[in-house]
Amino acid sequence: MIAAIQSSAVNAAPATGRVLTVDNLRAYYQTRYFGIEREVRAVDGVTLHVDRNEVYGLAGESSCGKTTLIKTLVRAIRPPLNVVGGSVTFNFAGRDCDIYALNQSDLENIRWRHLSYILQGSMNVLNPVRRVQQSFVDFAYRHIGQPMPAFLKLIEAHLHRVRLEPTVLDAYPHELSGGMRQRVTIALASVCRPDFIIADEPTTALDVVVQKDVLSMLRDVQREICSSMILVTHDIGVHANVSDRLGIMYAGRLAEEGRTVDVIRNPRHPYTSHLVTSLPRIGDVTQKRGLEGAPPNLANPPPGCRFHPRCPLAIEICRAEHPPMVDLAPGHRVACWVTAPPIKPGALQ
Amino acid sequence: MNAYAIYGGKRLLQFALVVFIGINLAFVITHSTPIDPVEQTVAAATSFGSTSPDAVEMMRQSLRELYGLGGTPWSQYVVFWKRIVVGDFGPSLSAFPTPVSVLINRALPWTIGLLTVSTLLAWILGNLLGGLAGYYRDSKFLKITGIVAMGVHPIPYYIVAFVLLVVFGYLWPVLPITGGSQMNLQWGWNTTFILSVLRHSILPVISLVLVGIGGWFMGMRSLVSNIVTEDYVTYAELAGVSRQRILYAYVMRNALVPQVTGLAMSLGSIFNGAIITEQVFGYPGIGTLLISAVHTGDYSLVIGIAAVSIIAVSVCVLVIDLLYPLLDPRVKVS
Amino acid sequence: MLTIFRDLFRYNREFRIGALLTGFIVFFAALSLVSPYPPQDVYIVPPDLPPSPTYWFGTTSRGQDVFWQLTFAIRNTMLFGFAVALLSRLLSIAIGMWSGYKGGIVDRVLMSINDTFIVIPLFPLLVLFYFVMRDKMSWPLLALAMACLGWAYDARLIRSVAMSLKNREFTQQSVFSGMRTSEIVLQEHLPYVLPIVFYTTMNNMNWSIGLEVTLSVLGFTNIDTPTIGVMIYWANQHTAMVAGIWWWIFFPVLFVIILFIGLFLLAISMNEYIDPRSRLARMGGMRG
Repeated sequence: MIAAIQSSAVNAAPATGRVLTVDNLRAYYQTRYFGIEREVRAVDGVTLHVDRNEVYGLAGESSCGKTTLIKTLVRAIRPPLNVVGGSVTFNFAGRDCDIYALNQSDLENIRWRHLSYILQGSMNVLNPVRRVQQSFVDFAYRHIGQPMPAFLKLIEAHLHRVRLEPTVLDAYPHELSGGMRQRVTIALASVCRPDFIIADEPTTALDVVVQKDVLSMLRDVQREICSSMILVTHDIGVHANVSDRLGIMYAGRLAEEGRTVDVIRNPRHPYTSHLVTSLPRIGDVTQKRGLEGAPPNLANPPPGCRFHPRCPLAIEICRAEHPPMVDLAPGHRVACWVTAPPIKPGALQ
Repeated sequence: MNAYAIYGGKRLLQFALVVFIGINLAFVITHSTPIDPVEQTVAAATSFGSTSPDAVEMMRQSLRELYGLGGTPWSQYVVFWKRIVVGDFGPSLSAFPTPVSVLINRALPWTIGLLTVSTLLAWILGNLLGGLAGYYRDSKFLKITGIVAMGVHPIPYYIVAFVLLVVFGYLWPVLPITGGSQMNLQWGWNTTFILSVLRHSILPVISLVLVGIGGWFMGMRSLVSNIVTEDYVTYAELAGVSRQRILYAYVMRNALVPQVTGLAMSLGSIFNGAIITEQVFGYPGIGTLLISAVHTGDYSLVIGIAAVSIIAVSVCVLVIDLLYPLLDPRVKVS
Repeated sequence: MLTIFRDLFRYNREFRIGALLTGFIVFFAALSLVSPYPPQDVYIVPPDLPPSPTYWFGTTSRGQDVFWQLTFAIRNTMLFGFAVALLSRLLSIAIGMWSGYKGGIVDRVLMSINDTFIVIPLFPLLVLFYFVMRDKMSWPLLALAMACLGWAYDARLIRSVAMSLKNREFTQQSVFSGMRTSEIVLQEHLPYVLPIVFYTTMNNMNWSIGLEVTLSVLGFTNIDTPTIGVMIYWANQHTAMVAGIWWWIFFPVLFVIILFIGLFLLAISMNEYIDPRSRLARMGGMRG
């Protein structure tokens, strides 16, 4: 039985290939209240893809739109957040599916079995009046298709593999420490061996020692079940350790994207350079300077490139038009008029 | 286990405090008036015809003893408390020589029955409908039910009971509007009596439920609207747990917790409503007893009922408080 | 605060309806100032007449014009409710804010006492109060008694606002910048506290008017002053329902129900305004 579950997620599809394709996605918060209409462009034209067995890191400061982006990816949106354009296509078990074209029951079938989510392990991430075991039953029982005793044995085996004590199942969520809760959510998200896992700030709000444990658990789990992952965190150091590719978001758009080593060693976008150089490194004695200005107001973003008010390299065209994504090297894209000018005017990625 | 003992101890202390303050309030009220209840009763008794001064003086003495008003304020206080602890308030004046405690014991079961049934009905129905309304925001049926429930809720118990009395007493007389059961029936566990009791309780129960349901509905609806944005609900939705399961096991189950606290807090005012409603329908509970006691000037009975009310409500609140940790496992930690 | 009212009136349907209903009742009560009949006189018009163009709401068995009697009744009832609400504001704001700001043992002791007053059934106590007061019972005395008993529920609400304000960043900033406590409370915190004071005042008015009607109907207040409850009391004394004089009961009941619903709508629309999450839920959003 366990072997069947192992094989279905991994071997049904070819070992390479895209698991997720996002095409020019736009999602805005649209409100009208007390006579004031407002449109916050949280995600404004994002295009990316994630391959099988790959960890795609998403970085950026707070309110850059990364949380909205992943909410949109899993179709966890609710008014006043609306998708106004673009598409999100997953590839599960060899078949493409547009997540916004699914009906409710297909969506419920996909959830957790093929697409799972690691929510930041806040105090309230699991039902506070039920024991942890109940969450496992609620989330995974219907996918595993085993009678309850066998199912529980499966859970315990899974917990053993990720080095969590099975006694954690009998605890109430508030009885666990922050780190434990986070590791329980990782175990929970991986129990059905999904094709795709989204991890939302899994190490924020944890102290450094616990972070190390959680990160290594995350990495081990991903390597073992070979699922693809999007890892969202503002901490570049975490990306350096875990992510295969890295995308930098700023003000609702992707500024730069490429293999993590390339982006960190060779940042091309001025914003990325700043992020990377602000990472403290042992032996580094240069003085760190903060970026001037503040992230733009997404209800009324600046025209042209959204970074231009704070950019030391800004030129005339930066104020007028938004730069397109340009391939600087295979797999390394940048959107900047100065460091990555398009080869021909209007040549778009 | 230890944490629960501490929690239980605290709740017991609170119970003691409530009873203490409540009974003291009753004492202060009765003993700080400019009117002497003994003189009042004497005046009422001697207003028709003349009585010899000796007889009046004897009456005064025995009344003073009866009412516990002889001696210093401190001895009065001690007597007051002794009576309450023992549960003996002396004989009732209006139903002499029946003791007050007998009268109260006769009436109390009716009140408790009415109170329990209507409170549970209102609470359960109100929470259920309110929870559904908070979750399924587009349902027209729930919206209309909500408006009706919330429209009746601010109206005081007396008016609702009175309107029902008028409607079912004069306009459409299909239900009995007075009494706890039909007059000439044999009391006991036979079906005719029980059916009659049920029939007579329909209007009082409906009256109490109509007023109460709106409050629970509103509270539950707003709780559910807030809980729906909590992380654990979002997470369960992300996991594709069915809407129905989320509604019951995640949302309502968590919303019930503050609603139980709310129940404990509202018992006082629900009790008020119950005894007022009893009076309108002549239901033989302690509400009717209280009002008639006031009209006949029966001092001991009024005090007895006030004391019993305070203790009864406090005990109910204590019971709810002690059962609360079963609902919310987080309580023990504090 | 006034801008809040203006915005609520413009955009919140419940507030609009509540304001209109309450405004109507206030206007009606103000008519008492031009009443042709003194309120406590009896047998001044032919009794038991149904509603007609001369006597719009009919007349009572005691020879009073129901319409004009009602203007006094609703005015007195409203004034009474308002007085109780005002008096009990003093207690609930004082206790709520002190408890919320101080915290610690002061908070615990005050809240224990507070919870006591929430649990204790007040009606038997008020009946007891009437029983021992009898003829010496007057409206100011009753208002005082009710205010001293009915502050508890609101004190808790105000305390929770005070507690959350105490821990907010802008409070710490004000403290560090050297503002005196009284300045902080009046200038920084008041705009947050006022909406909840409004909400609790409306609620408290409903509660006190409800209790007044109940006590008066039972004859436990000064039955010579016309209030809604007293009108119904006299109607019952003259067995108006059985005698078919339905208008004597119908109009007071109708008007007091309008008042209750009006105040209630005002309260809940303000309450919804205070809670930011309910505001977010309302913002369903426009479709782009």
